[in-house]
Amino acid sequence: MTVTADTNQHYDLDPEIFGQFLDPLRKYSSALYDNDGDSLELAQRNKLRFVARRLGIQGGERLLDIGCGWGSLILFMAQEYGCDTLGISPAPRQHDYIAAQAQARGVERQVHTRVGHFERLELPAGSFDAVTMLGSIVHMPDLGEVFRRARTVLRRGGTLYVSESCFRNAAARRAFDERAGTEFVRSDIFGWGDLRPLSDLVTAAEDAGFTITSVDDLTDHYRRTIEDWIANVDAAADAIDGRQPGLAAKLRHYLEVANAGWGYTTKHYALGCRKAR
Amino acid sequence: MSTDDTLRTVTEIAVAETGLPAAELTPDADLRAMAGVDSVRVLRMIARIERTYDIELEDEDVFGTATLAQVAVVVDRALRDAA
Repeated sequence: MTVTADTNQHYDLDPEIFGQFLDPLRKYSSALYDNDGDSLELAQRNKLRFVARRLGIQGGERLLDIGCGWGSLILFMAQEYGCDTLGISPAPRQHDYIAAQAQARGVERQVHTRVGHFERLELPAGSFDAVTMLGSIVHMPDLGEVFRRARTVLRRGGTLYVSESCFRNAAARRAFDERAGTEFVRSDIFGWGDLRPLSDLVTAAEDAGFTITSVDDLTDHYRRTIEDWIANVDAAADAIDGRQPGLAAKLRHYLEVANAGWGYTTKHYALGCRKAR
Repeated sequence: MSTDDTLRTVTEIAVAETGLPAAELTPDADLRAMAGVDSVRVLRMIARIERTYDIELEDEDVFGTATLAQVAVVVDRALRDAA
């Protein structure tokens, strides 16, 4: 069966293109800079440890990553914390890449992936200790269904981490949702995406029955992450255009649009939740 | 600081962010109507102005100002408020 997704026009591009501007783990979401001198690679590792802390990961947990991208989180959690991981992504090309990486890192028994949409996959209830969604909920239309299903697959006491770029508030969403910059990112880059205010995510999490355990503002970290990506795109422009002519300029424009909006129209938040009364 | 000084600094920042010659960036030109100046450029310019003066402009000023003269006025007001 062929699985396609609107978002594949971006995420299912030649993986080598992303290798040109992301860190070596190819983590395509905000890093976390502890110090001024942190490299992109170190900051992405900082961020993955931060996610582990927010989830309460001690070692050996069963973890589900929804929208796993090139597998940076599941590979890291398997390697660093001995977690048993499952990654879900609708972009078929990412799965071969992850399988090869898992083999190379000796964690192929702990790293599994499935091609498809989380909303439609059959997953056993109560089977995970932790669920993560880093920058993927923006691509899922039904927030309520996503949080309900995430809660269903978690064991009692299990934890959920969602990080997402959000409109700064509901008024910013009303004012900017239809503007050219928003439309460019949504249509020309991703195919589909729906930026929401954090309040919508909190409401959906609460309505699904989650307890909110943390909210972190990662906006400044994402701004710096994107500055690092832009520098990498510039440095590798010839190689990127060699794989797809004109792509370097398109990527740069997308990243500049994203960075111009931080604080004015958009924020980047991390939301921690627990399946607990 | 007088509005003339502010306007000069704001114009220098606009030149740096848009790449347009200063001669085109007259005080009363509508920024958003100028070729090559989209909302992304305007927000980057505002961010740089805020960093330069260590101020935070109000949302209605950020999204409501159309000319450099108007930007200079709201910057002066923010500086007075901060004093």
